[in-house]
Amino acid sequence: MIGASISRWTMTYFAAALAWLFVALFMMVVGVGYPTADIASPDTLVLVHVTCIGWLSLAMCGALFQFVPVLVAKPLFAEKWALPALALLSVGLLSLLGGFLSLDGRLPTAFWSLPLGAVLLVAGFGLVVVDLGLTAWLRPTGPARFVLVGLACLGVTVVFGSFFAFALSGWAGSFGDTVLASGIPLHAIAGLGGWLTLTAMGVSYRLLAMFMLAPDVDDRQSRVTLAMGAMAVTFAVAGGALAIGLAAGLPIVLSIAALLGLVCAGLYGRDVAGIFRNRKRRQLELNMRMATLSFASLAGAALLGVALVFFDGFTPHVGAFAFLAVFGWLSGLVLAKLYKIVAFLTWLETYGPVMGRAPTPRVQDLVAENRATKWFVVYYAAVWLGTVALLAGEPTAFRVAAAAMTVGVVGIVHEIVRIRRLCDVASPLRLPAGAVPPHLLFARN
Amino acid sequence: MTGELVGRVRDALRVVIDPELGENIVDLGFVYDIAVEAGAVRITMTATTPGCPATGFLREGAQAAASAVPGVVFADVTMTFDPAWTPDLIEPSIKASLGFAAVN
Repeated sequence: MIGASISRWTMTYFAAALAWLFVALFMMVVGVGYPTADIASPDTLVLVHVTCIGWLSLAMCGALFQFVPVLVAKPLFAEKWALPALALLSVGLLSLLGGFLSLDGRLPTAFWSLPLGAVLLVAGFGLVVVDLGLTAWLRPTGPARFVLVGLACLGVTVVFGSFFAFALSGWAGSFGDTVLASGIPLHAIAGLGGWLTLTAMGVSYRLLAMFMLAPDVDDRQSRVTLAMGAMAVTFAVAGGALAIGLAAGLPIVLSIAALLGLVCAGLYGRDVAGIFRNRKRRQLELNMRMATLSFASLAGAALLGVALVFFDGFTPHVGAFAFLAVFGWLSGLVLAKLYKIVAFLTWLETYGPVMGRAPTPRVQDLVAENRATKWFVVYYAAVWLGTVALLAGEPTAFRVAAAAMTVGVVGIVHEIVRIRRLCDVASPLRLPAGAVPPHLLFARN
Repeated sequence: MTGELVGRVRDALRVVIDPELGENIVDLGFVYDIAVEAGAVRITMTATTPGCPATGFLREGAQAAASAVPGVVFADVTMTFDPAWTPDLIEPSIKASLGFAAVN
């Protein structure tokens, strides 16, 4: 196949994801959920799932619908599944959140809400996993292999989550209560470590190499990195499930999984450093410069995790660790890459069809990096301050940091909307004869 | 006459740019061959990434640009990734402005 087609609904996924990110930021600013509430409270469950399903998973799915065909140079298995999947995920998430809110009486008791949400999320993620999995399976090498493992981890995460949803509704018996009491770390590791982190790693290998014109990371080398990550998640989930069944040994299992995860992060750092070192384009665009702050956040999260374990403080500070991983590493990387992907796809939609018939601008003509830089800097600085505030047990300072994060994200989203509207492209290149301006929320193809 | 048409086709292809690198496909060295026979033009070209959505637009853009050249009755564009494109193929004057490393 010469050139993947433009994914029609990727922008829709991105828009929905950003809307959920604003919900999460609003909750943190006004003090709903951790650290104002207990880390296991229903409010925190809402915050965590708004962030991990609404924001990160929707953004990742949207990116993968465009990106997996590029990875394997084959068309998507079923393009038409993308929109129904988004609808199922959105309604499923709303139902799940309603169920969480009914746990402490904020909403009228509705025992059906959690299982219904779980069923809808299983259906939505099921469509995503089958569609992307069957596409990636056509050429399961390099980054596509990371995506396949990530999708498998998504399946595990959703199965655990569904089990919890039924258990919280009292429909899973005493066995369900036992799993619910001990199994949440396994759910979180499969989701954050397996699905989101391993997939982000795989996608980043190809995106970094493609946009910096660097040679791809040697397949054997990245396979070792992936093997370590996959072993970490497998050990945590399978070993953890066994430990829960035997009612013993879970901390030891999780410690070994953490060590494997650390090795994976270290190898990934080596691989990424190699891509930067061997790049042919020496000048780094904004998205690459900002991605380095995400890599720094991943390294920071790894070091923080080690330090907390060493000083016996991991359990009380697990929130700070997760916050840095989720908002510094994953969210920072997604925001930086959104800035680039939206510009690139907008260029393709608008100017690709008229190429050869009229002069066209460059992708870089769609962005105003000097103006956008400050919003990314505000965002990352706020995330790091928020991490410190959580470690210091200062909820008010954390809310101030969350407000600063919101300012940064508003600025970044404003820049992305300007890209989509071609605001920074100078005439007469802005709309050559025959070019059609893109729709804000979907591709017209 | 044939050589002149090849030159005009080559000039016409300069309206097609690689959106990422921002330079035209001729100066970037994407165009491997232009063959003309009785007004039929056959272009063999490449791109940086096979699966990239821009690759199809580059091919269609080259075909549209070549077809518009007076004297061309038919234009066909073949994409190839063998040999793979390298920055060595970029015109030296363009290469420096793109910020490519001297070692590469």
